Amino acid sequence: MIKEILRYSISNLWQRRRRSLLTILSILIGITAIFALSSFGLGLQHLMEEIAKTMGTDKIMMMPKDYMTALDKSNVRFTEEDLDFLRKINGVEEATGMIMCSSKVKFKDYKEKYPYVMGMSTEPKEERLAEEMFAGYGIEKGRALKKGDVLKATLGYNYLVPDRIFKKPVSLGDKIEINNVKVEVVGFYEEIGNPSDDMNVYISLEGYKEIFEEEDYFFILLRAAPDQDATALADKIKERFRKYKGQKEGQEEFFAQTYVQMMESYDAALNVLIGILVLIALVSVVVAAVNIMNTMYTSILERTREIGIMKSVGARNRFILLVFITESGVLGLIGGLIGLGVGYLIAKTGGLIAIASGVSMLQPYFPYWLVIGCIFFAFFVGAIAGLLPAYQASQLKPVDALRYE
Amino acid sequence: MKFDYFRLALSGLKHRGLRSWLTMIGIFIGIAAVVALIGLGEGLREAINSQFGFIGADIITVAASGGLGVPGSGAINPLTDKELEKIRGITGVKNAAGRLLESTKILFNKKAVFTFAASMPGGEERELIEDMVNMKAEEGRLLKDGDKYAVVLGYNFLEKERFGKPITAGKKITLQDKEFTVVGIMTKKGNLQIDQAVLMNEDVMRELFERNPDDYDVMAVKFDEAVGVDKIKADIEKELRKVRNVKEGEEDFSVETPASILENVNTIILGVQIFVYVIASISILVGGIGIMNSMYTAVVERTKEIGIMKSIGAKNSTIFSLFFIESGLLGAVGGLMGVVIGFSAATGLVFAGRLVLGSEIITAQFSPLLIIGALIFSFTLGSFFGTLPAMQAAQLNPVEALRFAK
Repeated sequence: MIKEILRYSISNLWQRRRRSLLTILSILIGITAIFALSSFGLGLQHLMEEIAKTMGTDKIMMMPKDYMTALDKSNVRFTEEDLDFLRKINGVEEATGMIMCSSKVKFKDYKEKYPYVMGMSTEPKEERLAEEMFAGYGIEKGRALKKGDVLKATLGYNYLVPDRIFKKPVSLGDKIEINNVKVEVVGFYEEIGNPSDDMNVYISLEGYKEIFEEEDYFFILLRAAPDQDATALADKIKERFRKYKGQKEGQEEFFAQTYVQMMESYDAALNVLIGILVLIALVSVVVAAVNIMNTMYTSILERTREIGIMKSVGARNRFILLVFITESGVLGLIGGLIGLGVGYLIAKTGGLIAIASGVSMLQPYFPYWLVIGCIFFAFFVGAIAGLLPAYQASQLKPVDALRYE
Repeated sequence: MKFDYFRLALSGLKHRGLRSWLTMIGIFIGIAAVVALIGLGEGLREAINSQFGFIGADIITVAASGGLGVPGSGAINPLTDKELEKIRGITGVKNAAGRLLESTKILFNKKAVFTFAASMPGGEERELIEDMVNMKAEEGRLLKDGDKYAVVLGYNFLEKERFGKPITAGKKITLQDKEFTVVGIMTKKGNLQIDQAVLMNEDVMRELFERNPDDYDVMAVKFDEAVGVDKIKADIEKELRKVRNVKEGEEDFSVETPASILENVNTIILGVQIFVYVIASISILVGGIGIMNSMYTAVVERTKEIGIMKSIGAKNSTIFSLFFIESGLLGAVGGLMGVVIGFSAATGLVFAGRLVLGSEIITAQFSPLLIIGALIFSFTLGSFFGTLPAMQAAQLNPVEALRFAK
């Protein structure tokens, strides 16, 4: 019987194809928007999960508490002694300090830029820890910083691309001026896909001291030993370091967070943003539902006599209800399917545009549940929108329906 | 005659009762969403613009080039007294003052919070800064020359949430491990920077943060508006190039006029706004498709009627106008309801925001332009989507139309 109802519904929709087409168009637009927007949100989330997976869950970061508002203007710093103290805490496998500031960087005669210059340790183990946390990606060209490098720098990927930072790309062996000090470029990191990270300049701590005459650390990275739970360790570090610095609880000048915790807070902010956009896109689905309702009312009005005939030859109310709900559900389903296709194309195009403009981090991701969810959603929107009209149709009295003109 | 069109169009709409309503609902949801979002977006832009403290039509801000974040951060070659003196010497400049900005920890009631500290210059320039932000004391008094280890705080410190209890005038707080007396609290400015600021005298600030005796993070220049903002800006740039010995195009400082500061911020906000509006407009488009559908149905249903009208002499243009006006009406009435609902929704949200958040962070701005624009837009939209169906109605062959009897 389901097959019969389906065939009957589709033939009815086909008979009024222009109206069906317009109705489908209205629902597919909304589904397209929701699908494309969600895929970008999920893409970012997926990327973060991947990063957390590859970079491990063993990393902890310590930063000044006013980092978010003051950036490199914070007056809180970590000293070498602080770092030594942290290294000795049980469960800490490695610790390294980093220092950064936003500084003038000049290349040839091109307009100077103000990227972040990061000083990092060149002890192989510590450097790996810093790289995992920041660059996280391999070397694209040249080599990483090594012991004994002073006025040597490695650069983010965007320095290799003309017009992104400087008019012409920087090559290995070129000299750039950091804070008016000439520094040789020895390597480039792979593309991270985020314009601000791909703009970073990395130098050794010795080089940083030479250029900026500063050696206290701006933040500290730690790695938990394999048998340690990083979250518990972060709490322990916070407690121990607070006591060591003689700061009372609630008065800490720093915070210690695991990498995963940091990711989670970004994630949460991101989800709110995407949630708002999807909510706005949902408005159009509501409008589309109203359109479907309208189409169904019209359809029932036009087919009043038909309904009368069906009823007089024995069709039950339930059957009539099912016929019209199926019809509106099919409208939604077709809209959803086409919407997915169009949304996929739009998202893919958006992803390509993002790559071309140096934001390759922004890529869509289509988990199977999003695809299935959108299809079901479209079908249900159609079916629910058709509920009232279908109910009205099912309640028609056969005699009145037959008499209707 | 024209009136008849409207009467006929209206009776056509009434005839379809429920379905006309549904079509209008489609339109008004979209219009309401867009109107509410634009209203809130404009309010947000206004709120953000007011965050930029030094703004007045006659104030120019000078800072050494640096990175992101606080003015003056990352600057290699900071602005100094030397530049300040030169700027004061430019004709058309009424006065100029330098300020220091630092991030600081405040300790009060056993709790620590980070915020910004800004310096207040001494003497005449103090008045300049006070005028600029229209500084007044809500409690206590403002700073004066010779105040040592005394601070004036922004209004937000009166809130209990921050430290467990409000900081009022006369209380002691600890900044960078030094005890300060709060001599006053400023009135509420609705500007996050100022409302959370800690102000202290310049000499105290230099001592506390171990700053060089003559550098500044940012300078505010008050000028004579009669001279013209562009001329003053160019003069300041020329003078600073000379003092700092840099070539044109290689400036390591920035001179920002009120307009240019806002411009940067506004470009970003505008980008976000446009993106949100585009997504919201999708629902209007969907509503438009609803109108089109509804009108096609009306044409089909009234084929016989059209045939009769044509056979007794109605012109193609008359039939066209009839349907065109009908769809325009759908759009206009839907739009009107949408404006009303969008307006109420945004106002409600602002009200709720005030109740829940206790601050005026969410505001809405409705210009008459927005309202009139939305109305005209929805009428145009209705007519636009009604054009094709109306054309189809107009081109019906009377004989065929009459034969299409049901």
